[in-house]
Amino acid sequence: MNRIRPVFLWLARLAVAGLFLTACVAKIRDPESFALAVYRYRILPGSLVNILAILLPWIELVSGAAVLAARPRWRAAGALIIMGMLAVFTAAISLSLVRGIEASCGCFSTRADAAVSDGWNLVRNVALIWLAAAVFLDGLRLRPSPPDPQAP
Amino acid sequence: MNPGGLAVRRGEIYRLLGDISVLLALAIVLGIFANLTRPSSARLPWVGDWKHHIEHRAFRAGVPVVFLPGVRVRLQDSATVVLDAREPENYEAGHLPGALSLPVGQAEERLGDYAALLTPQTPLLLYCDGANCADALELALKLREYGFEDVTLYPGGYAEWTEYGGRVARGGEP
Repeated sequence: MNRIRPVFLWLARLAVAGLFLTACVAKIRDPESFALAVYRYRILPGSLVNILAILLPWIELVSGAAVLAARPRWRAAGALIIMGMLAVFTAAISLSLVRGIEASCGCFSTRADAAVSDGWNLVRNVALIWLAAAVFLDGLRLRPSPPDPQAP
Repeated sequence: MNPGGLAVRRGEIYRLLGDISVLLALAIVLGIFANLTRPSSARLPWVGDWKHHIEHRAFRAGVPVVFLPGVRVRLQDSATVVLDAREPENYEAGHLPGALSLPVGQAEERLGDYAALLTPQTPLLLYCDGANCADALELALKLREYGFEDVTLYPGGYAEWTEYGGRVARGGEP
């Protein structure tokens, strides 16, 4: 198990960082289409749609890159931001599905013909949250507490 | 300590929060810089005029919208009648396959031409030029007034359909 763990953590970092670094490209290239994808969730007030569309891809880029950093605490910080984003994305997609909005999630593509969101987006996000959580815990160096010498 | 639990070095949480702040600040600066340095034609305004966007107006009016993947599915459904709300000359120059011409200005006069095809329950899919065109939404509101119950708007319209390689029919016939 101890031999597998570093390999798993490397793969988890590559998967999480790779997906987020990939996801930000189309959004940075075409902020107008991404703003429309954000608008279609019908969650945010119109005044915040463009600001989010401008900033979110860069948060994805920076946090994705941080997950690949050598410094453990940066990895933890990047992974925690990614977990937060994934939690929000998952809630937003769930709400869209419940409301019957047949739109693309805007996750990896801003094209008009991108696949419509479905339950698989939620499964993928939960898996990514799990991987990001593993990266976060490793980066923070969380470990079992040492035994208390005073304890009987 | 916390026997059996997880220990974090003292101050680690605060340092982590500091790092998160640095990463977010860096992302915000990059985002602002990138938007400011785009060519003006590609620059996104900080606050968009979404209140006048055709999808927002349709949403407020209670008209359902469907996007390109959904339009492709509906075009396979023989029960759906597609209506082109543009002017006849635009329809003749090119329209979605199977679409009928029903310009919004002539809806009342020309609706009778399609009486045999339409019932109040017929699913109707309406489009015009694209996101900057309100004709299809106006037609949707009219048709609802006339008693049609299943009216859906394709806000991407003809422009998006052709941009993504959709098949086009030409001439005065569907």
